[in-house]
Amino acid sequence: MAIQNEDRLKDVDVIQDNFESQNYICSLEIATAVFLAYHLEKPVLIEGPPGVGKTELAKTTAELLDLPCIRLQCYEGLDESKAIYEWKYGKQLLYTQVLKETLGEILDGAKGLAESVDKLHDFGDIFFSEEFLEPRPLLKALKEEESCVLLIDEVDKSDHEFESLLLEMLSDYQLSIPEIGTVKAIPGKKPLVFLTSNNTREISDALKRRCLHLYIPFPDANLERRIVEARVPDIPPRLNHQLVSFIQELREMDLKKVPAISETIDWARTLILLHTESLDADLVRQTLNVILKFQEDVESVQAELQGLTNRALKTSQ
Amino acid sequence: MTQLHDTMVDFVKVLRTADVKVSPAETLDAMETIDLIGFEDRQFLKNSLSMVLSKNPEEKETFEHCFERFFTFEKFQPASSAQSEKSQQDQPDDGEFNPEGDPSGQSNGQGGGQGGGQGGGAESAEQELDFEPRDPTSELGQLLLSDNHIEVLIRIAEAGRAVGVNQIVVFTQKGLYTRKIMEEMGLKGLQDEVADLQEDGGRPEMHLARRLKNSRDLLREQVRDHVEKQFFLHADESGKQLREELLKKVKLSNLEKRNFKDVQEIVYKMAKKLIAIHSKRRKTFKRGQLDVRKTLRRNMKYDGMLFDVKWKSQKVDRPKVMCICDVSGSVSNYSRFLLMFLYSLAEVMPKVRAFAFSSDLGEVTKLFEKNNLEDAMAKTMRDYGNGSTDYGQMLQDFKSNVLKDVNGKTTIIILGDARNNYGDPHQEILRDIYDKAQRVIWLNPEPKSAWSVGDAEMKKYAPCCHQAEVCNSLMHLERVVANLLRVTT
Repeated sequence: MAIQNEDRLKDVDVIQDNFESQNYICSLEIATAVFLAYHLEKPVLIEGPPGVGKTELAKTTAELLDLPCIRLQCYEGLDESKAIYEWKYGKQLLYTQVLKETLGEILDGAKGLAESVDKLHDFGDIFFSEEFLEPRPLLKALKEEESCVLLIDEVDKSDHEFESLLLEMLSDYQLSIPEIGTVKAIPGKKPLVFLTSNNTREISDALKRRCLHLYIPFPDANLERRIVEARVPDIPPRLNHQLVSFIQELREMDLKKVPAISETIDWARTLILLHTESLDADLVRQTLNVILKFQEDVESVQAELQGLTNRALKTSQ
Repeated sequence: MTQLHDTMVDFVKVLRTADVKVSPAETLDAMETIDLIGFEDRQFLKNSLSMVLSKNPEEKETFEHCFERFFTFEKFQPASSAQSEKSQQDQPDDGEFNPEGDPSGQSNGQGGGQGGGQGGGAESAEQELDFEPRDPTSELGQLLLSDNHIEVLIRIAEAGRAVGVNQIVVFTQKGLYTRKIMEEMGLKGLQDEVADLQEDGGRPEMHLARRLKNSRDLLREQVRDHVEKQFFLHADESGKQLREELLKKVKLSNLEKRNFKDVQEIVYKMAKKLIAIHSKRRKTFKRGQLDVRKTLRRNMKYDGMLFDVKWKSQKVDRPKVMCICDVSGSVSNYSRFLLMFLYSLAEVMPKVRAFAFSSDLGEVTKLFEKNNLEDAMAKTMRDYGNGSTDYGQMLQDFKSNVLKDVNGKTTIIILGDARNNYGDPHQEILRDIYDKAQRVIWLNPEPKSAWSVGDAEMKKYAPCCHQAEVCNSLMHLERVVANLLRVTT
């Protein structure tokens, strides 16, 4: 298994091909990142505008390597009890109850307080033990026996302090639980970690320093055409050309939210559904809400729609 | 490998000079990376290092730039070998130094032209000259024509050390150091030889003279590259630090326009630093949630009955800052500056309200939000600036418009010289503000000795402030603002 994965990530070209077979078309930079992450055993921090396939990269990698993908979605207020571990309080309480009832048996025959305390100590303390531990995604990823892909999604949405919780995990692949000790990843089975960020706030230097940093920009026309082709195989090449050049033009405009790859794909699917052979202004107007998510944007694009469409048609001839 | 690692250290130094933050740990990562991937594939190397060393889009751009400049050497070695392979056109002996190789390639091409088409290498072309080539006599000349470019590089480095090129501080010294190194290497001997040869005028002599001259030009270019690299490595960094330190100490009013960009950067950096301290405080803020773990722990001693409930710690309020800036004629030099600081601060810190006045108070918070720094300052100065000062009027305006928003969490900063043109100072209003606000801080650009001279009312205002400070350089300002954050949170 591990050997197989070694092969799958042997060099950058192989990675690119393998990803392509998973319908994920990636640039050289992305393939390099995966290569380095695997061979240097370092987490990758992926940044870039929404919808360029950051999360998808982690999922595809997991699929490619036949590993489970453990996902931790970050949000404001996420803390260790949801990300690392939690005690099973109910069971712990029950345990104390049970302990109380059997106290007589345990202390049977003990003379004096000192002896009782000794006996109690001998009985062993499992109040804080793995029995009562509820592992959350981070801990789960460490304990995974066949390694795994850990996806920490939208890490910028979490609080500052949560970042510091991640540091130990990211640099040493271990987690410290005060009551129990340190849990380490099984040697050679370290999880492959991906963090994604939409840059809503600056990630701290401490975290960045522990990661490889991959910035995924919007793809160029060529790459985007290949992506659409891979994701929407039914699309006629001519329409693909037109659609991609139209989207690329849109990205040059000053919009509140420019369409990302995921929107391009959605649009391609929509057009296929409508049995479209070629773009025209009316059709674009009707389907504009697939690619633009703000009314302002729709309005400002509509004003220039004819010109945009014509240009897209021209460049793709 | 160690040599590669040394190269890496140099490269990291270059990156740091270019303001890419690279930690030692990342340097180690980079070394691990090159151990893994090697130096062969340049594009691959660039992509990989870019991921390891530069951690945001801006840094990536800088990285790219640095990489292109730093690793040019790698690029031109294959180029030179390619050239010597197609050595039909009699390559100059030191062609390796110049990947393009145009000037020497052309001039020597005449000589090689005669034997063109069959020559297998530089030497063979050389042999087909119809005269006995002369050997150079000067030391430098021999070196240059010896085809030993490593030796030449070493000699350049040695000469560089001898003249202390790593002491280079400003770019205008580049020419000077280039000449110095050339001289150190024995330029004079070479020049004399060339002159002698030309005087002689024979064909072999002229041929040699031409070759020597070409080599000399190439060498000069190389030396210049060397100096450039040294400058890049040593001067940029120290020069920049020097400038920043100087600027920090210079009085605000003396700052000239041409320094404005730099100052802006410092202010921005400082504001960033402040907000960093600041947001750390914010981290103690948690939602009012039940802290199950703490509660259980705490209640264990009560037999597990949960009656001593623990909450996650309470929210800490951020300070609300209101800043009133005097932009009248007397302090206009300072106020431009203070406004700039205020602008940067407002960018990184929410809840900053900014006001400006000469006599009538006006709020400029919106203006700051909408415009970029230059426009915002220009507009502020246009609307409120350069009138005669009336602090009394300002305070009255403040009372009627803003005072209702002031509460125990508000910090009020007043920037001004308190020179009231002998008008009514209305210090009782400031007293009201003092009572209502958490803190009132007055920053006065004038030295304390001038606070009661002439029309200055500072002596009357000072008792109504929690803090009244002299503030006329960036250092002062930094200290004051740092205090502000420490005290109020």
